[in-house]
Amino acid sequence: MLAYAARRAGLGALQVLAVAVLAFALVELLPGDAAVALAGDQPDPAVIERIRKQMRLDEPALTRLGDWLGGLLTGDFGASLVSGRPVADILTAALEPTLILAGLTMILLLPLSIGLGVAAARHRGRWPDRLITTFSVGLYSVPEFALAVLLVSVFAIGLAWLPPTAVGVPSLLAEPAVLVLPLLVLLARPICSIARLVRAGMIETLDSEYIAHIRRAGVSERRVVFAHALPNAVSPATAQIARTADWLLGGVIVVESVFVIPGLGTALVDAVNARDLPVVQGIAVVFGATTVIVNLAADLVAFRLAPRLEVAR
Amino acid sequence: MNPFAPGPEEGPPGPRNRRTPKAPSKPGAAESRHTRLPDRRTTRRPAGHRTRQRAERFTLIALLALPLCIALAGPFLPIPTGDRTQPFDPAAPWPGTDYLGSSVLDGLLDGGWGIVVTAAAATLLAYLIGLPIGLAAAATRHRWLDEILMRPFDLLLALPSLLLMLLLASIAPPTAWMLVLIVAIVNLPDIARIVRAAALEVAHRPAMEALWLQGEGWWRTAIGYIGRSILPTVAADAGVRLVGAFYLVAAASFLGVGAGPEASDWAVMVDVNRGGIFLSPWGVVLPAAMLVALSVGLNLLFDRLLSRRDRA
Repeated sequence: MLAYAARRAGLGALQVLAVAVLAFALVELLPGDAAVALAGDQPDPAVIERIRKQMRLDEPALTRLGDWLGGLLTGDFGASLVSGRPVADILTAALEPTLILAGLTMILLLPLSIGLGVAAARHRGRWPDRLITTFSVGLYSVPEFALAVLLVSVFAIGLAWLPPTAVGVPSLLAEPAVLVLPLLVLLARPICSIARLVRAGMIETLDSEYIAHIRRAGVSERRVVFAHALPNAVSPATAQIARTADWLLGGVIVVESVFVIPGLGTALVDAVNARDLPVVQGIAVVFGATTVIVNLAADLVAFRLAPRLEVAR
Repeated sequence: MNPFAPGPEEGPPGPRNRRTPKAPSKPGAAESRHTRLPDRRTTRRPAGHRTRQRAERFTLIALLALPLCIALAGPFLPIPTGDRTQPFDPAAPWPGTDYLGSSVLDGLLDGGWGIVVTAAAATLLAYLIGLPIGLAAAATRHRWLDEILMRPFDLLLALPSLLLMLLLASIAPPTAWMLVLIVAIVNLPDIARIVRAAALEVAHRPAMEALWLQGEGWWRTAIGYIGRSILPTVAADAGVRLVGAFYLVAAASFLGVGAGPEASDWAVMVDVNRGGIFLSPWGVVLPAAMLVALSVGLNLLFDRLLSRRDRA
């Protein structure tokens, strides 16, 4: 276990480093002169000069790469080209709403999706299973924003039960009604894929020899399902649970934009549209590092649940 | 990761699989209560099975046909473009007007083409690049070539796909072709991995060794034998990729990156008409409903095709 964890953590550290280098390489990949490309449609010589000076584009790329990586370690992400604020400040200001959204989604996601998957597997072939399976197949990759505006127009405008956006709300936790629709949208996609995998794993496990043996021994059905079958059935789904970190971060970008929540996703979209590259780079590193860490945790959990599976090469 | 993809662990049956057969060969009465036999499930068809199947098929066709017809035929329908009136005019005939004052119906008819074609082109392009890479990585006998071809994708997979797309869009000039290229790049790692996993299994069959011993060249073994054998897997996966590309294109359009500012498709309609959702909700609801119907319909369709293939 320890050797595996060390190897896996090493790979994770390498991935984070690669993400940081990739984010840095964005500047180098810009077509033509980076300062001119970043200055906008009507380049003003003064603006170009300021950008060149601020991003130190005159210096060789390798020195800047070294400084950029060193800055990341000390929490120095550079400064925004548009507002001049330090990127670290922008990140910390936008972090809270995104953390609340992603955290609550993760907390709700696991019990709901595992519960649905187990329910479908226990009623295999009958109407609860058919209902859950059809929904989880159909909603598998529905664009979040389309689902979001449909829900808004039904529940916020048609029925007027919930607020349509989070405009004017000081803190998300202060008004939980604001969170209902965003969470529904964020949950839709990951629930579908995890519930399907749990159902498939559960069906296979319940058909296996050892479960039949436990049943013959007279163990109650609840204990059979939850204590003996579930750990084996969930282990194939853990990789997918990690993958939902990917979806969740992508979904957060869209959901924040639809519901006007001032989080990291909104900051990223604004920065991309304004070509504010230092902010884009900073958020990319934060998102990339988060994904790598979640993947790492999931692989370790999967290894712990079923050590016979070699989860990662 | 894609749940339909053949995982790397699905190799030849290991010792564990050999020791425990799926069902006991001669089930006793007590045993069959607990060990469910797979063949009993498939032979017993509940009453009303056929009508339910017909209803499912009808729903599927209805879900797919409407948005697809509008998307593919809409731009070519000879419907005169109405005059512009007031934006979000509540008095306008159904379905109202958009933020510029032209009819929502016009936008709806013209808006599907771009998304569907971009997604299809991106999927095609991703396969044109990913298929040879995956095949070469699986068919080669040099481990270093495999590593060089596949390792970069591990790094790309560490980034959320929408984030990767936003990053690429932040430095690329906003044109329609660039969006095709970006979505193709985002889809590339998954495709290459799936092709490689499928081809690896084929490349270790005895038939491959026979071909080698016969002295067949690389072209005949890699393209003629491996390429043809993995075709069903690739075809099934292509459906999943298409739905994924559709999702990415729609999300990019909605966020206003990738396609140019003058582009107008269903996702852009949802974005720009959001401001008037209280005055004229149809301008947002109709394109969103089209996107959801098309996405759900494609998902259900490819799932059916996939499960039919598995049963056969």
